[in-house]
Amino acid sequence: MGMLRAVDKSVIIAWGFVVLLLATASIVLQTGSFFSSQYLLQQLQIATFLGIVASGAMVVILLGHIDLSIPWIVTVGGMMSTAAAGWWDPALAVPFGLLAGLAFGVLNGVGVAFLRIPSMIFTLGVNTVAQGLMVLHTGGFAPQDHATDLMHFLAVGRTVGNIPNAVFVWVLVGLLIVFMLRYTPLGRYIYAIGNKEGATYLSGVDTRLVIIGCFAISGVCSALAGIMLAGHTTKAYQAMGDPFLLPAIAAVVLGGTNILGGRGTYAGTIAGVILITILQSILAVMQMPEAGRQVIFGVVIVVMLLVYGRGQRVQG
Amino acid sequence: MAEASTKTPFWRMERVSKHYGGVIALDGVDFQCERGEIHAVLGENGAGKSTLIKIMAGVVQPTSGQMFLEGQPVTFPTPVAATDHGIVCIFQELSLMPDLSVADNICITSPPGRWGFIDHKAQKRRAEELLARVGCADVHPGELVKNLPLSRRQMVEIAKALGREPKLLILDEATSALTSADVEEVYKILARLREQNLSILYISHRMHEIEQLADNCSVFRNGRHVETFDKGTRTDDEIVQLMIGREYSQVYPPKPKHAVAPQPRLEVKNLSWEDSLHDVSLTVGKGEIVGIGGLDGQGQRELLLALFGVLRGTSGSIAIDGQPASIGSPGTAKSAKYRIALIPEDRKSEGLMLPMSVRDNISMASISSLTKGLVVDRAAEDQKIDEMVRKLSIKVGDLNDAVATLSGGNQQKVVIAKWLMTDANTILLNDPTRGIDVGTKQEIYQLLRDLADAGAAILYYTTDYDELIGCCDRVYILYDGRIIRELDGDDITEHNIVASSLNLPLEQREERAGQ
Repeated sequence: MGMLRAVDKSVIIAWGFVVLLLATASIVLQTGSFFSSQYLLQQLQIATFLGIVASGAMVVILLGHIDLSIPWIVTVGGMMSTAAAGWWDPALAVPFGLLAGLAFGVLNGVGVAFLRIPSMIFTLGVNTVAQGLMVLHTGGFAPQDHATDLMHFLAVGRTVGNIPNAVFVWVLVGLLIVFMLRYTPLGRYIYAIGNKEGATYLSGVDTRLVIIGCFAISGVCSALAGIMLAGHTTKAYQAMGDPFLLPAIAAVVLGGTNILGGRGTYAGTIAGVILITILQSILAVMQMPEAGRQVIFGVVIVVMLLVYGRGQRVQG
Repeated sequence: MAEASTKTPFWRMERVSKHYGGVIALDGVDFQCERGEIHAVLGENGAGKSTLIKIMAGVVQPTSGQMFLEGQPVTFPTPVAATDHGIVCIFQELSLMPDLSVADNICITSPPGRWGFIDHKAQKRRAEELLARVGCADVHPGELVKNLPLSRRQMVEIAKALGREPKLLILDEATSALTSADVEEVYKILARLREQNLSILYISHRMHEIEQLADNCSVFRNGRHVETFDKGTRTDDEIVQLMIGREYSQVYPPKPKHAVAPQPRLEVKNLSWEDSLHDVSLTVGKGEIVGIGGLDGQGQRELLLALFGVLRGTSGSIAIDGQPASIGSPGTAKSAKYRIALIPEDRKSEGLMLPMSVRDNISMASISSLTKGLVVDRAAEDQKIDEMVRKLSIKVGDLNDAVATLSGGNQQKVVIAKWLMTDANTILLNDPTRGIDVGTKQEIYQLLRDLADAGAAILYYTTDYDELIGCCDRVYILYDGRIIRELDGDDITEHNIVASSLNLPLEQREERAGQ
């Protein structure tokens, strides 16, 4: 692609930031443990949840839209999968969780594509609806909230050496997204809509179906992350998806994807996810109080986005 | 001209030129107008009228030349500078904010204030006073603009312009949205303003308006000022003659002689859409290039969009190859059943995704048919793209380069290639040669003729009437959303096209031999 060079630059910057963060933390805290394989592998495992959420977020952002329903679709994924195990059979846990995520994703897509409601408003509304439904779900009776063995296996099990299975799940999701973006007509249409929706429509593309498809992908990714998160913590619980929204969007944009759509690579999103995860980890290691951590995290992200946003506007 | 040299003209331009890259929009124009007169400006599409106004209003800067206001040299780096000198422009598109009140709109540039706050009472008084001046005392200043009918909005627009205390008022097609009763009202206002010693520049395509209103007229052609004359000293026919006469710079491929009328491919009956299209009926035959002419904005764009399934709520019927067709979206239009293509008007916003590669752009409309299973068949795609690049001789270094890096002509070829790749046999074109070089234009003319000879039906809207004459087998002229004339064969002349575009009768039949 013609914009490859520009995107590569932001991928390099993102990786540069990762190394810089680790090096600075090592010097300040006088330790070499930030570069140990054990630490890095541990971070990679933590990064998988964000990585899967960000995969879906990226597809929607490439369109020039945004999915703000991520937090509660993550929760829906966790809660519906554990509930399905309780209602019917543990084997149905994962499929039902994903199906619930898909349903909310399609709902988002229909609202944006057919009702023409701005995605920022519509997905925020869907987020609240999902929240209400989940509160209703846990309030009325006591559903099962324990993760099944399969969910546990996916999130924290290890089959190949010391590498958590969760990493392979992320790799699989990543490969599917890359395949879709690079080798299918759908991928072309996504970039095209992000560049000029009108021109894409005038090329005879059913842009509405593409938009629904992208929100569906985002819904499934969020639900999958929720399922694995439930497996990781052994339980599904209220608001389990809340810490993911800003980091997911920030990871995508820090990875060089244009927040207005049409430009970006998955390699960048990976870099962005690792960057955000390392930043969160280092702030935690520095034993800063929670409030201070949030302030610094927010400020760092805004500053980085400013740097990126400026560069991209110049290119555009 | 002798009398003009004895006194200082109110507004004078000397040798003003404007170049956009290699395109010359205004070429050494001398122009002047006086206070207390209504001065009409006439010209074909692309004659330089809009550029003239934009320079006077400070929207664009002249490349060279000088401007004088009451004898003093002036420059307008911004529209505000022009307004400060008393030059106020009312553009064709309404500039009112629909959700603000009439008073807010009228006083938007300089609301009367007290201690930094808007003084609403003073603003209301001012609005009432200005509305009374334009004969609209019945409009309440507190009413939201969106609740007013279009004609009243145009009056509010004029009131707003008067609020800036103009000495020179420019109206660009200010009456095109108005009904005849409202137009009468505008005439009265303009006549009153003339008595108040304003200088008024009036741009219109409606000949009878100019006859009724103007004190004198200036005709522009090809970016040049051709002539200024007093009202009544020229007949309609002479004015049309002044407007035409562009040099033929293009070479067109020869038109084939159809012994029998071609079999119709596209038949349109009584197509109407909102206020833009009224009972349009036309036919395009196989192997035929049919032109659509007329001045800008007479419904040509809407006609093509309607045929391509973009517009909702059209009435009338469309038939393809004799079968009734229902085309609800561009996706349906390009399907194997109808095989219609539309080369849109603005390649930058409607035809191309500029940051994406040449490859992605060319295959955008046909990629869904170039797949093996789920995956794009890159080999097949590359082969077809190569074929298109060679067929259209698109000059491209690397197919992976962003299409934005190509020249305008090559970009347009990419748009055409995109649609040829779909194997369309009904091709709609919306002004495809605008802003591209002469060489590419000729290639496009030849390509269109080749496509037609291969059996395609081509409907071709162009703002350049040279092309209507040179390229088209038949021409429909649109005026106010209606087909007001169909020109065929030798009847496709500059004079007939221009006269029809202005809704004037054709030249005298006896002038033509054999009729």
